[in-house]
Amino acid sequence: MENNMNSGAAAQSSGMANVRFGVYNQPSNIAGKTVQEAREQFSKLWGIPTDAVAYKGKDKLDENYVIQASDNVEFHRRAGEKG
Amino acid sequence: MTTETKRFVLVGAGGIGNWLASGLVRLLEWKYPGSGLIIVDGDNYEEKNRERQEFTKLGNKAVVKAHELIPQFPNTVIIPLAKWVVSDDFSGVQADEDAPKITASQLLNENDIVFAVVDNFAARKIIFDAASKINNIDVFTGGNDDELFGSIYHYQRRDGYDVTEHPVNFHPEYENPPDKNPGELSCQERSEIEGGTQLLATNMAVASFILGRVQKTIVLGQNPEESEIYFDLGLGKSEPYNRSVTHNNQYTTV
Repeated sequence: MENNMNSGAAAQSSGMANVRFGVYNQPSNIAGKTVQEAREQFSKLWGIPTDAVAYKGKDKLDENYVIQASDNVEFHRRAGEKG
Repeated sequence: MTTETKRFVLVGAGGIGNWLASGLVRLLEWKYPGSGLIIVDGDNYEEKNRERQEFTKLGNKAVVKAHELIPQFPNTVIIPLAKWVVSDDFSGVQADEDAPKITASQLLNENDIVFAVVDNFAARKIIFDAASKINNIDVFTGGNDDELFGSIYHYQRRDGYDVTEHPVNFHPEYENPPDKNPGELSCQERSEIEGGTQLLATNMAVASFILGRVQKTIVLGQNPEESEIYFDLGLGKSEPYNRSVTHNNQYTTV
């Protein structure tokens, strides 16, 4: 399921949310920003690929999704493949 | 010590699996005597594997590893299966390929604890999909890249329901694997697969993280909520992810 909507009246345009990518985990004041903006903010620091899908739980997030306070936004990190 | 017995199914006895076998058999021998360890692998140990893998002679990985462990651990029933694991419909298997195979559904039973430490997403997906049709099962998987990054995942089902999510829900690489199951390839194609430049430390770390999860969720019976763990030995960091089906996925400050 892809999520590109906010929850109407419950939408919170500022506050803390959590951004994650692999071993990285950063609570940040990014509520109100889009997924694309969050990606731009963290991509250089963490090496997030431009095509890494963003998730909130199992839901895939659209690049224009506006991050809500308390969201856990996870940029997909490919699992270890070899062994 | 308990009278309870377990059946561990280790799929893959290579870079991660050979170390994992050493830990799993010790757990079974002393914690669950009389249990079974099934080692499944269609591949062979070759000289080039010695840099990261421990074995006493060349030959099929499952057979060699089992024959090494059997005399050391008399209270565990160790059975090698020199076969590749394939999907139930044999999809993708080369028509002229006659290497021994077993389907994931034939291999897995109720209450199994499975360790899918093969080096490709395609074979792991076959195992996860077969497990998703079993009422009570645990599947641990793990892998690494060519450097110091690795990850593990624990998929658990109880009474016909997922306790943790199927990894396909978080990983497109399981939904559409970019690689091929070696069991589907011809002998020639398999021989051309390179192990890359993997590191012993990362292989062993994946095995250790899996053993840690087994200790917590199987031996101690605790909730498997931190069911996915990413780690980077270079950064000295690891990060658990809650993949429980009941997780509300909200970030809360304490």
